[in-house]
Order: sequence, then C-alpha cells, then structure tokens
Amino acid sequence: MGSYKSVVISAGKGGWGGPLTITPTDDRPYIYSVTGGGIHPVAARIAEITGGIPFDGFKSSVPFDKIAVAVIDCGGTARVGVYPMKKVLTVDIHATSPAGPLAMFITKDLFVSGVKADDIKES
Amino acid sequence: MPEIVYSSTVTAVGELVPDFAEQGVLVFFGENAPLELHEFSIIHTPDVQTRAPQVGDTITLANNEYNVLAVGSVASDNLLNLGHLDLKANGLTEPEMPGDVNVEATMLPTVQIGDRLIVVSHP
Repeated sequence: MGSYKSVVISAGKGGWGGPLTITPTDDRPYIYSVTGGGIHPVAARIAEITGGIPFDGFKSSVPFDKIAVAVIDCGGTARVGVYPMKKVLTVDIHATSPAGPLAMFITKDLFVSGVKADDIKES
Repeated sequence: MPEIVYSSTVTAVGELVPDFAEQGVLVFFGENAPLELHEFSIIHTPDVQTRAPQVGDTITLANNEYNVLAVGSVASDNLLNLGHLDLKANGLTEPEMPGDVNVEATMLPTVQIGDRLIVVSHP
C-alpha cells in the first residue's frame, strides 16, 4: 500500500477552527469530496500532497471509518455538522462557524473552515 | 404573470426532519446526495429548474405558501447543482449563513413523500 505524507490545514480568511493535521493511512485512505461537481480543488490538493485517494461523495460512498478527511462546501447548516458528528475531520471551503442543529458537534479539533488551496501546507 | 421557476417532488423524508423542522429549518437534497445526509433531509427530484429562489418569490411546500425574505450567496449553486436547499423560517431579511433561504418565522409543514416544492416568481 501507499506511503502517506501529512498536511496541516489552517482556517482561511474569516474562517474558524483548526488547524487540522491530516495523515491518510491504509485504514483511512480516502479524501472525501462532498461538494458536487466533481472533486473540489481543495480535496484534490490534499490528495496530491498526502497520497490519499480522492473520491466524490455524490457519485459513490465509503464507510466513515475509511475517511481521512471530508471536504465540504457547506453554507452553514447541514453538512457542516454531519461529519464532525461522526468524528470525521472536516474541511469547509466556506468560512462558516458552528451553527445550525448540529452545532454542538463542530469543534476546533475536528473542523476548519474558509479553506483555500493556500491554507494547505505540507508538514 | 407569476411563473414557476423551480418545482420538484419529495421522494423521501429523513427520520430527523421533524427535529430540524422544530428548529425552523428544513434541509433538502437531490437524490444523489450521500446516504449520511438522508437522515435529516427531504430528498426530492426536480422537474423545473429555471433558477433558484430570489427575494420576492414565493415558495409553496406541501400546500403552504411562504415569502422569500433573504437568499444567501451560495444558495443558488447549492440548489441547482446538488438539489440542496436550507429553508429557514426565521423571518430574517439578511442571510445568517451563505446557504440560507429565509422565509417568515412561522411553522414549517410536516412534509411527506409526494409533496411538492414550488418556487414562483412575481415579476
């Protein structure tokens, strides 16, 4: 199986949470893009640096315990809380803060927002 | 003349939808949304997708009519790309979050399979 690298992802302008360190493993290799319209550039960038496997959540699915990180483009209500609720590290493209019915699950150790490609650094 | 700019039919209702409705939020997704989103979502299949709601439109859901008071910056992309809509009955004329579509602070209906979601423009 692959050898993986780590990235550190910081909150972007107006964003919240993090920084998160993402390290795919053979048990959790997937970079999960839940964004529609294919693999989001931020997910592609994380996969490129780490060696994780990108996949499109609107086309196929994998179990939560195989996901290294979920990349979402959530406007603040629903997707923003689902993956943190399942203890999956979550990167939101939009600069959201904890809110909505699932706000209690959104914590700085699981979630970072406002992320652009420049906010992803090899560690 | 009023014109239907978006219409769709509900095909599934997640078990957490009533909990979200109590908080004044209904979350919609298209049928290709990942399964983990179905739990709290109204799943629907559109037949008219001319455009997403704008301020001044009316939204009819399960035969209840609401006035659109505010629309967040990513709400249109969400709906047209993913079938995703965060409908909030909060009476606010400014969107709190980029995915929001706000209507009057009133009771949201109990949505069932086969119900219709219709957006009407009033030029």
